[in-house]
Amino acid sequence: MEIRRGQRVSITELCQCANTQVLHVVLSISGIQDTVDFACFGLNNQQKLSDDRYMTFYNQPNSPCGAVKLIASALGSSTFLCDVAVLPQTIDRLVFTAALNSTETMHDIHNGYVCFLSANQEVARFSFSGSDFHDEKALMLGELYRKDNTWRFNAIGQGFTGGLAALVMHFGGDVIDALPPPVSRISLEKKVAALAPKLVDLAKKATISLEKHRLSATLAQVGLVLDASGSMYAQYDKGKVQQVIERLLPLAVHFDNDGALDVWAFSNKVLALPPATLRNYADYIASAEYGWRQWGMMGINNEPAVIEQVVKHYQNTTLPILIIFISDGGVSQNTVIKKLLVEAAKLPIFWQFVGIGGRNYGILEKLDTLPGRVVDNCGFFALDDINSISEQDLYERLLSEFPLWLEAAKLKGIIQ
Amino acid sequence: MAISLSKGGNVNLSKEVPGLNKVVVGLGWDARATDGAAFDLDASGFLVKLDGKVRSDSDFCFYNNKIVADGAVQHAGDNLTGAGDGDDECLKVELSKIPADLDKVVFAVTIHDAAERKQNFGQVNRAYIRIINEEGGQEIARYDLSEDASIETAMIFGEIYRVGTDWKFKAVGQGFAGGLGPLASSFGVSV
Repeated sequence: MEIRRGQRVSITELCQCANTQVLHVVLSISGIQDTVDFACFGLNNQQKLSDDRYMTFYNQPNSPCGAVKLIASALGSSTFLCDVAVLPQTIDRLVFTAALNSTETMHDIHNGYVCFLSANQEVARFSFSGSDFHDEKALMLGELYRKDNTWRFNAIGQGFTGGLAALVMHFGGDVIDALPPPVSRISLEKKVAALAPKLVDLAKKATISLEKHRLSATLAQVGLVLDASGSMYAQYDKGKVQQVIERLLPLAVHFDNDGALDVWAFSNKVLALPPATLRNYADYIASAEYGWRQWGMMGINNEPAVIEQVVKHYQNTTLPILIIFISDGGVSQNTVIKKLLVEAAKLPIFWQFVGIGGRNYGILEKLDTLPGRVVDNCGFFALDDINSISEQDLYERLLSEFPLWLEAAKLKGIIQ
Repeated sequence: MAISLSKGGNVNLSKEVPGLNKVVVGLGWDARATDGAAFDLDASGFLVKLDGKVRSDSDFCFYNNKIVADGAVQHAGDNLTGAGDGDDECLKVELSKIPADLDKVVFAVTIHDAAERKQNFGQVNRAYIRIINEEGGQEIARYDLSEDASIETAMIFGEIYRVGTDWKFKAVGQGFAGGLGPLASSFGVSV
């Protein structure tokens, strides 16, 4: 059954059977570059959100009564399972919404639809496209509502230029608390959830640190330099380097438009590895370039070579770059490293050195006070074991100096 | 207490209010709460004979022809947005002035620029028609359309019709494709 905007139909008509109350509602929008945030608002008979728990969305995937569940999310699509029979009498209406975060508007939609599945069969569809809208940034796509003890659907297809905030105002005005958490958080977690559900918990923790350091809206590229000298053997062998990848990936996904973590391994020479992404992270160390044992590393450590290669790699990049540089120490080429980093201070690169399980970090420990630089472009902290601190602490440490550099670099015109 | 009608339901106005003569037909809807072009609904009335056609174009009462049949039906003005409480548009009918050769006044509502604005009645909230006794302002009957209006852009909301010496009101709630022009044509108005 094709449903047109404005159309009202009973769900018995919709499902073409008398008893069905459990519906899969699929919301989909294509043509939008950024994440589309879908939600389902359960409203009272005044059409207000009287209970915040009835806003079902990524961060709150189940309504208290279990009648509304967000059961699947992908980029540009969400699926809700609605069992209206289970809803309390106080909930009269389920409004399905979509909201955008970027400069895009609903006019940019290529195709969109609200589709109903009953017993895994598509039974009805309300299709819309960008030409139905102007500069709306949030839409009420459609609503299921109670009418004389039956449930009906109305294809609304109307919205607000004021985005999600205007939408929430419409559902109750003063319910500020109902405003979902800042945009970046939903985006990061959603991106992660869609492709790497195992990392969702990490993404949440990363988000907290990002917000705390006001990095939610910062775009940057993230690179990871891995010490792969012989002394690191046990760290690789025990899977600890793999854990580093997993812990850092949410940061890269957050900062970076392509969601990729650029990775280099070095010992006496340098190996540029394929970027780590949400798709390949799970066995990255064991499989990238045939796995770490095939990298031809595990020799002595040559930091200057990798620093030079990283600088060269980003020479045409205009975004700020955060390099996380993992080392287990044994740093000896102090003079050369010093010279390179002093020169690199005029570049849009921040070097966060992390010492793990080692000693003799040499010049790395003194980088904060390295003289002769336009801005302080380096940070350092050491851990006995990367797993010895909580993920939250790790993100805190990784992100503590970067924002200071961002500000200083902006002042000096190194970044825009 | 006003009688609440469902689609197809009717009420004998003369029995409800003996001696009823002047009635106000009020039409209302909620102003658009979302962003976009306003919902501009236009009310109109067709004074028709037993065969459902007007005697002439002048029996079509709308915003450009406000007084019809020597004042038997009058249009009280056009509200462009639905903003404000109470009726958004109303027509006044003086039953005793309706000529003997006319049997019915049909009340229709159309959405202005519906096609261009991509609007239909299903997007409009809480549209209704009500019949009020002008003397005293008592509401006699009311019909809420929200569930009966959907993808139409023109709707016949209701009609007042003659049954012997009585006048009745019927909640019609019937959609009509094409807007005001074709609707008027169907009542024999040349547009």
